[in-house]
Amino acid sequence: MSDKLVLALPSKGRLMEQCADMLAKAGLVVAKSGSARGYRGEIAGLPDVEVNFVSSSEIAQFLKTGAAHLGITGEDLLRETMADCDARVDFLKPCGFGFADVVVAVPAAWLDVRRMADLEEMAVSFRRVHGRRVRVATKYMNLARRFFSQKGVTGYRLVESLGATEGAPAAHQAELIVDITTTGATLRANGLKVLDDGVILRSQANLVSSRLAAWSARLREVEREVAAKLSR
Amino acid sequence: MPAEAAQQMEALEAQAQCLMGTFVRAGYEQIAPAIIQPAGLFLDVIGEALRARTYVFTDPDGEELCLRPDLTVPTCRLHLARHPAGGVPARYCYNGPAFRYQPGGATGVHPSEFRQAGIESFAAPDREQDDAAVLALIVGALREAGLRDFQLRIGDLGLFSALLGALSMPARWRRQLRHHFWRPEAFRAELARLSSREALQAHDLPRELLELPDGADRREAQARLEDYLERSGIELVGTRTSAEIAERLLAEAADARETPLAPAIARLIENYVAVKAPASEAASMLQGLVERHGVDVSAALGVFQRRLDLIERAGVDLDGAMFAAEFGRNLEYYTGFVFEIITPRLGAQSSVAGGGRYDSLMVDVGAPAPVPAVGSCIHTERLLAVLNGGAA
Repeated sequence: MSDKLVLALPSKGRLMEQCADMLAKAGLVVAKSGSARGYRGEIAGLPDVEVNFVSSSEIAQFLKTGAAHLGITGEDLLRETMADCDARVDFLKPCGFGFADVVVAVPAAWLDVRRMADLEEMAVSFRRVHGRRVRVATKYMNLARRFFSQKGVTGYRLVESLGATEGAPAAHQAELIVDITTTGATLRANGLKVLDDGVILRSQANLVSSRLAAWSARLREVEREVAAKLSR
Repeated sequence: MPAEAAQQMEALEAQAQCLMGTFVRAGYEQIAPAIIQPAGLFLDVIGEALRARTYVFTDPDGEELCLRPDLTVPTCRLHLARHPAGGVPARYCYNGPAFRYQPGGATGVHPSEFRQAGIESFAAPDREQDDAAVLALIVGALREAGLRDFQLRIGDLGLFSALLGALSMPARWRRQLRHHFWRPEAFRAELARLSSREALQAHDLPRELLELPDGADRREAQARLEDYLERSGIELVGTRTSAEIAERLLAEAADARETPLAPAIARLIENYVAVKAPASEAASMLQGLVERHGVDVSAALGVFQRRLDLIERAGVDLDGAMFAAEFGRNLEYYTGFVFEIITPRLGAQSSVAGGGRYDSLMVDVGAPAPVPAVGSCIHTERLLAVLNGGAA
């Protein structure tokens, strides 16, 4: 390992572009090093920084273990990846993009289920009728479990969903979902609604610092410099 | 724990032999249920809270499996495999590993891999007699292993059911309060809702669905719901049918017409849940509490007292035993008598043994009808820690 400050950035999609824009506006121009398809990069004028381009959920993993010093990724992924998120990372700056709410959504036709408390009661009668627990499809297993337990909802089972979660109820893979939404349009198009008290987290991309990374006084200096430029 | 010292392993083995000897001499058949269990059934039974602490994995065929987080459910499954109807009296004992993820990190008294030595008794005709026998055998086994300084804590979920049964309220309110008993906050919230006329009104529901004529049945409620969905352009997606939704809307409509729980009754329920007393004084204390409200739960209190008498007759000293009405919360599958044995050395958060009655679990595992069941297990690493007097 080098003794450079490792900055983990999203490797693809809109989030990658938005990160590059934000950094460029702050005077931090990221250039991919090596071949153009490479997953490494550097920032002009900051020789102590090494950029790693990885997927958003890997960024959370890197920050959790300290494999990266700094990273930009969604708060939803950070809190999903780490139960003890606030003990492992410091949120330095919300980025103002990558907005997504993690919500509990049920079929809109469930007029009898409007709050989380209704969900628990419904789960009891569902089990009586169907002989099994009501299923919740999500890729946010930990966020969902923590939120349900906070709300006193227990009579359910989580089903891991790796994509197109909003289609799970119609496909009879689950009865309800925990998923991200920005405008709610996708949920509505799939005949779903968000419960009144069903917003688990209002998330956006954040610049985050890992407490577990190998920090030296010099790297802290570099961190301050990067954070200061981004905060202007 | 990277590995256990040979000495520790030998000590656990010797202790297990002593415990199992006591169980087998009492007529319990020694069994060794499978360590790897089907995740689907297991998790459906134990619920998502324990799932968060269960090691779940997929085999090369894509089958979802788990390492058993306890031995009670595997024992029920073994019993049902032998007797599909379930209702055949049987008594089993076991000693073997169980596995639970420890969120804060595993420690000596909260290991992620530990051995449970326990007993389960199914389909015994006299419940109180069997409750007493199981408790007495566990206490006897602990004594045999050398434990002297411990305290017994008991509870009885049957008393709470009886109290609700004796109060005048709709059956579904009783079901809800009983259901929420496990979750103190949700329980308080539900009690508050049932005590408030305003909260029972469901103001966020379309009036036409709530204001059904007297005597309207599910068919009518279902027709109105379907009509409403049609007009509002809401498509019904998923597993739940409009009949299921209508059924719960009907209950909401009934709640809106219902007289809320009187404040005195809500207070009585709260006061009951708060009762803590020496076991020997619990019955008279509870009697005094309900009497003032003209509520009669003497039958359930009689059952409670009879069980205490049977426990004493079985040789368990009840001096110092404590009763707590809310004890049993967080142990979702118990339905009646519950108990726990704690030591001054490890404290209340790390009981050395615990158990109780779970008459509805067998149905969840697949029995056609409920089977009376009571059981208990000893946390053997904790017991050894207490007996060794070593660092906890």
